[in-house]
Parts: sequence; C-alpha cells; structure tokens
Amino acid sequence: MEQCACVERELDKVLQKFLTYGQHCEQSLEELLHYVGQLRAELASAALQGTPLSATLSLVMSQCCRKIKDTVQKLASDHKDIHSSVSRVGKAIDRNFDSEICGVVSDAVWDSREKQQQILQMAIVEHLYQQGMLSVAEELCQESTLNVDLDFKQPFLELNRILEALHEQDLGPALEWAVSHRQRLLELNSSLEFKLHRLHFIRLLAGGPEKQLEALSYARHFQPFARLHQREIQVMMGSLVYLRLGLEKSPYCHLLDNSHWAEICETFTRDACSLLGLSVESPLSVSFASGCVALPVLMNIKAVIEQRQCTGVWSHKDELPIEIELGMKCWYHSVFACPILRQQTSDSNPPIKLICGHVISRDALNKLINGGKLKCPYCPMEQNPADGKRIIF
Amino acid sequence: MAVQESAAQLSMTLKVQEYPTLKVPYETLNKRFRAAQKNIDRETSHVTMVVAELEKTLSGCPAVDSVVSLLDGVVEKLSVLKRKAVESIQAEDESAKLCKRRIEHLKEHSSDQPAAASVWKRKRMDRMMVEHLLRCGYYNTAVKLARQSGIEVALPSVPGAGALPGRQCEHEAKTARKSRAASGSPRESEDLGVEAVRGRPELSCLEFSLRIQEFIELIRQNKRLDAVRPAEGTCPPVQGLLPPDRGTMAAESLLLGFGDVLGVPSRLSHGQDGDLGAHVLSLEAHQDSIVLVDLLDPARWRMLIQQFRYDNYRLHQLGNNSVFTLTLQAGLSAIKTPQCYKEDGSSKSPDCPVCSRSLNKLAQPLPMAHCANSRLVCKISGDVMNENNPPMMLPNGYVYGYNSLLSIRQDDKVVCPRTKEVFHFSQAEKVYIM
Repeated sequence: MEQCACVERELDKVLQKFLTYGQHCEQSLEELLHYVGQLRAELASAALQGTPLSATLSLVMSQCCRKIKDTVQKLASDHKDIHSSVSRVGKAIDRNFDSEICGVVSDAVWDSREKQQQILQMAIVEHLYQQGMLSVAEELCQESTLNVDLDFKQPFLELNRILEALHEQDLGPALEWAVSHRQRLLELNSSLEFKLHRLHFIRLLAGGPEKQLEALSYARHFQPFARLHQREIQVMMGSLVYLRLGLEKSPYCHLLDNSHWAEICETFTRDACSLLGLSVESPLSVSFASGCVALPVLMNIKAVIEQRQCTGVWSHKDELPIEIELGMKCWYHSVFACPILRQQTSDSNPPIKLICGHVISRDALNKLINGGKLKCPYCPMEQNPADGKRIIF
Repeated sequence: MAVQESAAQLSMTLKVQEYPTLKVPYETLNKRFRAAQKNIDRETSHVTMVVAELEKTLSGCPAVDSVVSLLDGVVEKLSVLKRKAVESIQAEDESAKLCKRRIEHLKEHSSDQPAAASVWKRKRMDRMMVEHLLRCGYYNTAVKLARQSGIEVALPSVPGAGALPGRQCEHEAKTARKSRAASGSPRESEDLGVEAVRGRPELSCLEFSLRIQEFIELIRQNKRLDAVRPAEGTCPPVQGLLPPDRGTMAAESLLLGFGDVLGVPSRLSHGQDGDLGAHVLSLEAHQDSIVLVDLLDPARWRMLIQQFRYDNYRLHQLGNNSVFTLTLQAGLSAIKTPQCYKEDGSSKSPDCPVCSRSLNKLAQPLPMAHCANSRLVCKISGDVMNENNPPMMLPNGYVYGYNSLLSIRQDDKVVCPRTKEVFHFSQAEKVYIM
C-alpha cells in the first residue's frame, strides 16, 4: 500500500505541474499573440502606410522583440524544469518495486521448449472453459491452433449452460441433469436433487395462495428424500399454513431468502465437478494464487543465498530451498518428513512405524540400530529393528 | 479460494510483480516528455530566429511595411509554437494519467471489502494472463479476455487498460514479426527493428544481426553484387556498434558464421579483406560447409524474432519471461509433491492442481516443494490428520484418519479402500507422528 502511495505522490506532483504549465503556457502565448497582433494592427493602420518607422515605434518594437524572446525562452526552460519531477516518478517506481523478477525456479524451463508452451496454452484453455469464458477459450484455440476435442469440452459446456440458467433462477436444466445422474449423485452423498426440488417448491410458495394447489402437488417430489431430509420437508409443509397470511411475515420468512440461489449454484458446481472428477477450483487459479504467495518468499531467499555467495545451499535442484506456507487447504497429499533426518520420505526410504507407534524413516532407523537393538528416540522402548512396519499414507 | 493471502503477503507480491505495470507507462511518459521538450525547443528557436531578423531590420530604419510583414512571420511562428506546445503537453499529460490509473487500480488490492479484494485478485490473474497471451502473440484472445474480465485493453483512456504493460510493445513486435514471417522482404522488419533500438545502441546488436540477415537473403536470391554493396553501404551506422574495422566487417563476420553472436569482433586478419568478393561469390558453392549451412538456415529468422522480442522487452523495461509464467512456476513448485508423479497414479488427488492433466506435465521439470514438517491428510476424506483426527494404521500398513475409519466401519469390520482387505475395527493401531 505504502509503495503505491509513494509513487502516486510523485505522480500527482507531475500531473499538477503539467496542469499549471499547460495553463500558463497557453495563457502567456495567447497574451503575446494578442499583444503582437495589436502592434501589427497599429502599424498597418493607413496613417503610417509607406513611411519609415518613427523612433518611438522603433523603441516599442524592440521592446516587443525582447518580450517575445524572454517569454518563449522562459516557457522552454520551464518545461525543462519539470523533468526532475518526471524522473522522480521513475525513481519512486524503482525504489518501491522490484525491477528484477527472475525465474526463481529454473530460468526459462518452459521458454525454450515449444512443447511446454503448448501445454501451458492448453492449461489456459482448460482454465477458461472452467471459468465459463467459452468464447475466449475458443478464440485461443483458434489463434494457437490447438485442437481441443469435443469430449473434453462437452462437460464444461453443459455445466456452464446449467449454471447460467441457475443464475437466471431457472431450475429446469439443473433438475434435468440431477435426475439423469441421480444414482451417482446418491453415491456421492449429494443432496443436490433435493435442494433443487426444494427451491422449486419455495418458488411456488412465493407465488402466493393461488399457487397452493400446485405447491401441494409438487410436494410429492419430496417422497424419495423423506428419510434423509425429514426435518427440512417438515419445515416446508409447515410453511403452507402461513401461505394466506403472507410468508414474509411468518416464522418461515427465511425460506424466501435470496441466498438459497447462491447456495444452489455452489452446491451444483461442487457436486457436478466431483461427479466428473474435476476440481472445484480451476487448477490454474490455485497454482497462480499459490505462486503469488511463493514468489516473494523465493525471491527473498534467492537474494540472500546470492548475497552470502554460498550458492551451494541450493544444490537440491529438485527441491525448493524453503517451505512455502500455503495453508491446510492446499494439503493435497500426505507428506511425511522424517523427524530425525528432517527430510521427506520416498519409496527408497519409506516411513517405518516402530512397535511403540512412533514413525521414523528407514534411513533413520538403520542409523539408530545399536548392537542389533533399536531404542525408540521418543520413548524408552527397546525393540527389534525387524519389527518396524512400513506404512503407507 | 484455497489460497488465502494476508495483507502483508499481498503487499510483498505487489512489490515483485507489478514493476512492469508501472514502469512501462512511465517509460512512455518519459519518452513523451522528451519529445515535448524537443518540440518546444525547436519551435522556440524558430520564434527567436524570426525575432532576431526583425531586430536586425529595426536597427536599419526600415519602412513600416517591411516591419509589418516581418511581424506577420512572428505571429505565425508564435501560433505554431502555441499549437505544438498544447499538443505536446496533452500527450504527456495523457501518459501521466495512464500511470495514475494503474496506480489507482493497484491500490484497490487493500480494500477492506472481501468481495472487492477477491475481484482484484481475479483481475490480477486475468491481466497477467493477458500480458502472457500478448507476449505469445495471441492478440485477439488477449483483447477478448481483457474485455470479458473488465480490464479493457484497446483504449488507453479506459481505466484499467493500464493494467497491460506488454500491449504496446507487442504491437510493434507483431508488425515486425508479420513481415518477418513473409521472410521475403526483410526491409520493413529491419526498419522497424532498427528504429526501435537506435535510441539505445548500447543495448543491442539487433541492428547488426538484421543487416546480416538482409545480406544472407540477398545471397539466397543470388543477387551477389547487391549483397556486397549494402554490406558496405549500411555499415557506417553499424560501425558505431561494433569494434572498429573496415566497412566489410559485417560481411566478414558473416562469412565466419559470427553473425548470430553479439558483436563478436572479426578475428580475420586484414590480409583477407581482399578476398571478400571471392568469399561472397563462393558462398553458394560452399553451401554444404557447416558455417554456411548454418547461415542459410531459415531457423535464423526464428532466432532473429526471438532477439527482436527480447530487445523490445528490454527497451520497455520488461523481463524476458512474463510475470504470469514465473508466478505459475513458483506456485506449481510450491504444491508439487512426489505423490503427484506416482507411476500407477494411485495417489493422485482430484483437487490437487499439479495432479491435473496439463499442469502435471508442465510441472515436470520444476523442483518439488520443500517440506520439513509432516503434513498428513486422510486418503478417504481428504481431511487433515492430527490430534483431533489421529492417523490409524490398519494391519496392512495403510493409514487412515480415525474419523474416516469410523464412517466406513460396518458393524465391526472395515474394508481398506485401497487393497479391499477386511479387518476388524479394533485392529487399527494409532501411529504417532512427531
């Protein structure tokens, strides 16, 4: 925030100077033109035609010349003076922002390879589809001559069509979709279909007493959900009582809340994505967002490493030099770091559970064996090293 | 959103990512300021010139008529000065305002409204993606995306258009590239390139490379004499860029295959100068020799294009890589784990970005995340395993969260989802992770 304010201050000064200079410049030149014009008119008046210039007029003229020269030169030098303010803006930018954004990871790993570029384009296309920017995605496919097969696009097209309908409070397409995928949705423990029916019912309620019959007859759609959603169905039936008095002033007014629509969009996206094996959030967005967190940290550590000239520190080219805290939501896989050796376990060095329940890596275990016996580093239990059991997270 | 940025993190990210966002319009401002100064200086000198003439005439007791006509000249010059000054100031004011709009957009990141902040973040990604697309030359896509995302491009007067540093540079680059692709007429592209770099000769040998390409094209078209002539004719401007040598310098280094190297001084002895013609003329005959084949390779055009791009970026204070790719690389690395690359694919997670099809391939050459402390998530539920949801090992060695085991338990049996073996619930053992 501070950085922006700093640059903005300098910029405001420049803008102010441009403004005053512009006004001043125009005004003084206007005056000058007016003055010279007057002089010329005086000279050109018929009385003086054909006569030599009188001494007085000559004096006036040379004064006029001096005035013109002074004014224009002052204008030019005034403009030059603004330069310092302009360059101060540049300096403020240099001071407050890092000019070197460098490949913290490995420089130009993708740049040189056409294939990588193509995959990146592909990832962007997928992202655009997922974000519902279909026309942009199509355009990119065309421009980059990427071929996206219809099978890949189809689910996105469908999801977006349904979502758009939902945004316009049209439940039809979503209900159709939910009914045709009922079995798999049930396996996912999804209550999408019920929620859609419920929303439809609520909309009928909002229609007032004249829709009462229709609402009642629609209620039969709740039958399959009676066991799982008993409570919600009771609430809806209860609301029928207040239909004549107006639902807005009843204890059931929360049913009319608009947030249900936002919620149904969310539920639909989540359930449909998991049904199709897609991630709810665009993978590219998540990666980019974590990059925004990681980049400054990595650039910092890189600067420190280079400053100390101990470039050897980052010898592990296959691992980042520092842990990036992205938050638990970004824990997608179990990673076990051996508490003894402080490194991630791998297939060749798997995690081993000791008899006592403590887990260390096999390399650590081998190092701790003493005379054919192993003492757990965390508790007093002594054991046979062969009793350790490999575990899989 | 899976990733939450704190205010401090946001501000740090701003610092590393947004330099070009501001610097590019600043460079334009600077350029326009210089142009304005030049214009004003020139017109001022014109005015002083006519005024000096008037003064000279005055000293010799002139007739009123001649003074009047001289005054007319003064008025005319003054009007021109006024017009030019107003135009120039308008131009510089415009670019300063563009700069200001970008700043204002950047300032929105710290909005206390969470909705506004998240919109800002979405726009950040979109505008960096737009910049990336522009760099790749996908023009229409970039414009379309910018429009859809509300970061309008085309008109610099639209707020937020500012968010697109690469735009202007790419425009120049695109024009040049087009004529390159035609590859027959190096002329236009060359002029463009030369013009772009001439301002800062110390920056680049682009001009030199372009001249060499022109030379090669002429040879290819069998216009040998023409080839020699421009080589001598165009060398004077080039000479300033290169270690001094004869006008034939370009041709020499060309023959030695130095053309693609930045300004490498010719190591030819001067004795060979005389042989130049022979060398050139025998070029065709020697097409199979390694050096010459290299020179006639059409791939040189691609290299030239790359060089032009990089020089053009540098001219506008942009890095060679887009902020978008660099950020993406850092992000993928921070998420990447060995599990994303298990051959059987058993450990893929549908939510993990690095496990998704395209990004998986992209992340391949990148380093893995560093992880000094264990972080365990249950394979069944995806929930974190900790003291509230302790990890439990089944007798086959597979570990699941306690809560998940409870949820899949039927009577007293649990079925391991991965091996389908059936165990008693009581057989699950607690494991302790330090």
